Amino acid sequence: MIPKGNIVAATLVGLIMAGITGFILLVIAISWFSNAPFGLANAPAQPIAFPHTAHAGSVDDGGLGMECEFCHRNVTKGDSATVPALQQCWYCHQKVSGGDEEAQAEIDKLVTAYSDGVPVNWERVHRLPDHVRFVHEAHIRHFTMGDTPETQLEVKEVCTVCHGEVAKMEEVQPKQFQSLKMGTCLDCHRKYDVPTDCTICHK
Amino acid sequence: MVIKIEHKWGMVVDLDKCTGCNGCVVACQAENNLPINTKDLFMQKRAFEWIRIERYWEGEFPNVKARYLPVMCQHCGNAPCEPVCPVYATYHNDQGLNVQVYNRCVGTRYCINNCTYQVRFFNFWEPTWPERLQNQLNPDVTVRTRGITEKCTFCVQRIRRAEITVERRERTKLNDKTMAARNFMPACVQACPTNALMFGDQNNQEDKIHGYFEELHNHEGHSDSRGYRILEEIGTDPSVIYLKKVDQFKMEHSESHG
Ligand code: SF4
Ligand code: SF4
Repeated sequence: MIPKGNIVAATLVGLIMAGITGFILLVIAISWFSNAPFGLANAPAQPIAFPHTAHAGSVDDGGLGMECEFCHRNVTKGDSATVPALQQCWYCHQKVSGGDEEAQAEIDKLVTAYSDGVPVNWERVHRLPDHVRFVHEAHIRHFTMGDTPETQLEVKEVCTVCHGEVAKMEEVQPKQFQSLKMGTCLDCHRKYDVPTDCTICHK
Repeated sequence: MVIKIEHKWGMVVDLDKCTGCNGCVVACQAENNLPINTKDLFMQKRAFEWIRIERYWEGEFPNVKARYLPVMCQHCGNAPCEPVCPVYATYHNDQGLNVQVYNRCVGTRYCINNCTYQVRFFNFWEPTWPERLQNQLNPDVTVRTRGITEKCTFCVQRIRRAEITVERRERTKLNDKTMAARNFMPACVQACPTNALMFGDQNNQEDKIHGYFEELHNHEGHSDSRGYRILEEIGTDPSVIYLKKVDQFKMEHSESHG
């Protein structure tokens, strides 16, 4: 016969152990299913609100239907997609005003920054680990200039393969459409018979 | 679309042209994000030099001659460093390169101990650069962290970039295959003021280095060419050929005696 006090203590210890195990499992589950590190986070606050919906969203959805590479100009030419220079934003926005007061306030921030010559510190949303090198240009080229229908896409369709429908996002979310673990890259490289040597990405 | 060319990279070092200027050492340092070597690091024998100039003195003063030997990873065809790696972080790829995968390396240093040429380096410390030099780091090359091994890569980042350039031009019809070879050039080769270093494709018949390898493989041991490979007798099958220095004095001497 076990004294009563011991049963209470045993139950307590059991509960605590279960709690700890559960917590560890939860952390593992979150880190496994989310993007690198803890990708369930929300989009970082940008110094100037830039709604992709208004620029790249389709005309039916109230956007302008601009092409991705109109602003991310380097994407078809080099490694990084690049964020455009302020001058490029200003070039349109010296004429184009926001629809409402709120939007106009954001545009005013941009025009002031441009005329004062102060760079805007955009927050980077997507980042690959430092030991990986990704060349945007080669991937866009592969998917736009191929021989089969699935490699003859338009540039903006290629972007959505990994980044998702950015044109429908008010703010770009850190969670990407693909998990972008090494397996994702390899699956695709194997599918299209592209070399999978380590030094293709790690150098 | 990826064009698959069967490359086997190699290098030829003409010791007759090498003046020991250390240009290649500096170029490699800048290209591959090597940390700044200090006197302390040299004293500890922990300085990083993916390519180093070995200097030998020959003869007695005043008839003394300086001999220089640039030594980088020989990209051995039969590399002693590879089989000892427990995590497959160093392996031979299908282009004849001995590759070091930084994110796989766990820092056992077995490869460093097994390398015949002493060209592998271990990051005992987190590499640091003076503030003003941080913006000149090469964005194509990983900045290694503490605890992993590194070595000459034959500038694989330049090889990959050249491949992409060739491919792109291929697509847009601005290029033909012959132009391809000119795009492949490691930093040390580009920097060498006397063109003592030559880099190329051992498999390509038209490549300037092809002949040296051909000669070496066809007449093993009794070639009349100046080519030799360092420590090849232990069977590492290096991809770097050295061309002997031509000693003017000896030549005149032997000629005068018929
Ligand atoms: S020279 Fe050394 S590091 Fe390079 S392949 Fe040969 S054994 Fe490996
Ligand atoms: S080939 Fe590149 S990595 Fe190797 S020694 Fe020359 S510059 Fe350095």
